[in-house]
Amino acid sequence: MIRACHLYPDLLNLYGDGGNMIAFQKRCRWRNIPLQIINRSLTDTKDFSAYDFVFLGGGSDREQKLAASDLMKSRDRLQKAIENGLVVLAISGGYQLFGRHYETGDGKHTPGLAILNLYTEAGGKRLVGNAVIEMKLAGVPTRVVGFENHQGRTFLDGIAPLGKVLLGQGNNGKDGLEGARYKNVFCSYLHGPLLPKNAALTDKLIRLALKKRGLDPYLKPLDDAFEQRAHTALLDRLGLKVN
Amino acid sequence: MKLRLSSAILTGKLAAKLSRVCGYGGSSFPGLLARLFYPGALKKLAAQVRKGIIVVTGTNGKTTTANMITGVLQEAGFKTISNREGANMISGITTSFIMNSIASGKIDCDYAVIEVDEASIPEVLNNLSPRLVVVTNFFQDQLDRYWELGQVIGIIRDSLLGQKQATLVLNADDPLVAQFQRTTGLPAYYFGLAGDKNPGKRDPAARETSLCPFCGSPLVYNYCHYGQLGAYSCPDCGFTRPRPQVEAMEAGAEGGYNLTYPGAPVPSIALEMQTQGLHNVYNALAAFSVSILLGVNLQTILVGLRKYRPAIGRMEKFRYGNKQVYLNLVKNSTGFNQGLETLCEDRGGGDVLIVLNDNFADSRDISWIWDVNFEMLTVRQKRLGCFICSGLRGEEMALRLKYAGIPTGKIVTNTSMNQAVKAVLRSNRRSTYIFSTYTALRPVHKIIESLVEKGDKSDQGMPSVS
Ligand SMILES: [Zn+2]
Repeated sequence: MIRACHLYPDLLNLYGDGGNMIAFQKRCRWRNIPLQIINRSLTDTKDFSAYDFVFLGGGSDREQKLAASDLMKSRDRLQKAIENGLVVLAISGGYQLFGRHYETGDGKHTPGLAILNLYTEAGGKRLVGNAVIEMKLAGVPTRVVGFENHQGRTFLDGIAPLGKVLLGQGNNGKDGLEGARYKNVFCSYLHGPLLPKNAALTDKLIRLALKKRGLDPYLKPLDDAFEQRAHTALLDRLGLKVN
Repeated sequence: MKLRLSSAILTGKLAAKLSRVCGYGGSSFPGLLARLFYPGALKKLAAQVRKGIIVVTGTNGKTTTANMITGVLQEAGFKTISNREGANMISGITTSFIMNSIASGKIDCDYAVIEVDEASIPEVLNNLSPRLVVVTNFFQDQLDRYWELGQVIGIIRDSLLGQKQATLVLNADDPLVAQFQRTTGLPAYYFGLAGDKNPGKRDPAARETSLCPFCGSPLVYNYCHYGQLGAYSCPDCGFTRPRPQVEAMEAGAEGGYNLTYPGAPVPSIALEMQTQGLHNVYNALAAFSVSILLGVNLQTILVGLRKYRPAIGRMEKFRYGNKQVYLNLVKNSTGFNQGLETLCEDRGGGDVLIVLNDNFADSRDISWIWDVNFEMLTVRQKRLGCFICSGLRGEEMALRLKYAGIPTGKIVTNTSMNQAVKAVLRSNRRSTYIFSTYTALRPVHKIIESLVEKGDKSDQGMPSVS
């Protein structure tokens, strides 16, 4: 059984990010992969060594700050679990928390978990709009679609991005990179939510979680006609040819 | 000065005529032009309203509340103007005043009831100096335009600070709204809805935590109607739901509501409405409060509210053969959930059409559909016929339904709005529920109108297509 932890579902839920958990859950269920979802918020004990997959969404400044100071208390255990292969998906505000520090819209400087080598500064104009990135999934260049909406500019210090920007602003609107990758940690600014329309990425996370649990990572193929249609329709609308 | 005002008005009226001739629906252009000619035009026009201006703002329910208030005031015999067409930013509001004035710059009215887009509040308040400001509720809405809810609330609070003449009419059940009395120092009159007799149904959603607007601690709820609306209190600083002056009690399954207010002739007054949904009860309570504050007599208020017909796309009712057709505008997850609850309560079952666009006025980001609780439909799935998805992002809507647990065999995507409406009307359930985002609403409305039989329209009290 996969054990998935949704961190701060009540606080970090700004842009429909809960849809990521729905996608993860449904794609396990449709394959009869047993899955337990554990919701953890402020003051709950977080036993990161017992989880295979952790998800964090984005929240507004106040909520993000509350989550950050709470998560700081279990920082070392989280870092250790990540070194041991814990699969993590962190979106937007959740992404920023993993860096050395981040600045919120009002320019306030807040220390992050410093688990990933990156940092976020408050920018001028908010970066908003549909976005398409290209990332490698099992060696195959794959287009990932979503919607970005962030004030912060994130810079990577020698750590890998999630993908390169084909359309949109990405981490900072400058270097053409989007998100961050470290071991089994996947970070991104893409909402949409990210996983439902990008089924290949969802399956990648499920496969990694199965491996982490020591189970066979083989995934039965699903009928993804709806997923592909939604993915393709957005690419068409943005004038990008489907590869 | 006079000359500038009247030339601004003439320009605006001319622009309105021109844009009508050219076929533009937009009602903000004349106001925009008039303001270019004479920036003081709105203030000059507003100052002539004899008895006072009522401003209605908040995330959901602005149009309905404003229309209900207008209905009651007109029922009471007052000459009342409003921006009925929902053009609720500064230019659109200016247009409404221009269209109600004569060329010399005179306006003849007792009251003006104006719904105002949250982001336009500072500019509008400065120009209108309203007597009453109604705040309905605050929900996350159209994020790519407004950024964060907290910022919007801050802007409204700051601009209220300068309105010493105003009395606030506030939703006691929404902590984000109720905080305004303390943060602005203005007198406030509260409306609210008492606890539900079936608390199991609407428990505080496990996934939402509301933070105290004063100290940031998570609020504790005795009961919760939807979203953050309910009886809250802060365990840390003591902020708590104020006792509302106008309070409704939820009645039995028949859907009637009784209310109380200070000075009521009998302890419990029956409120009759032709609209469905809990959110409309809140809208009626807001309108009731305003009417009481303006001294309208009780019978007139009740008649005015009973006569109220929903505006275009507010659970608007049509008849198609033996079918009941409902058209509902959806702008955010809270409003969509309300609509879905109404559908779930329909014992006859229904077919569903959802038209999802992602133009600027709809919110370009459609992530919010994943916050809508479509999962509630899956238990009632047997009573629901087909799910047709249309609009610029119809494919994404279909995907959302698939992940909510609706069998894919029941979900159809049809990019032609025309065909989609026809298909859903052809389906065989007793009711049809059509949900549409903003920019698809008028096109869908037009298609429905072209299909429903003429004779039935008047029976249903169809509002005019404005
Ligand atoms: Zn408090």
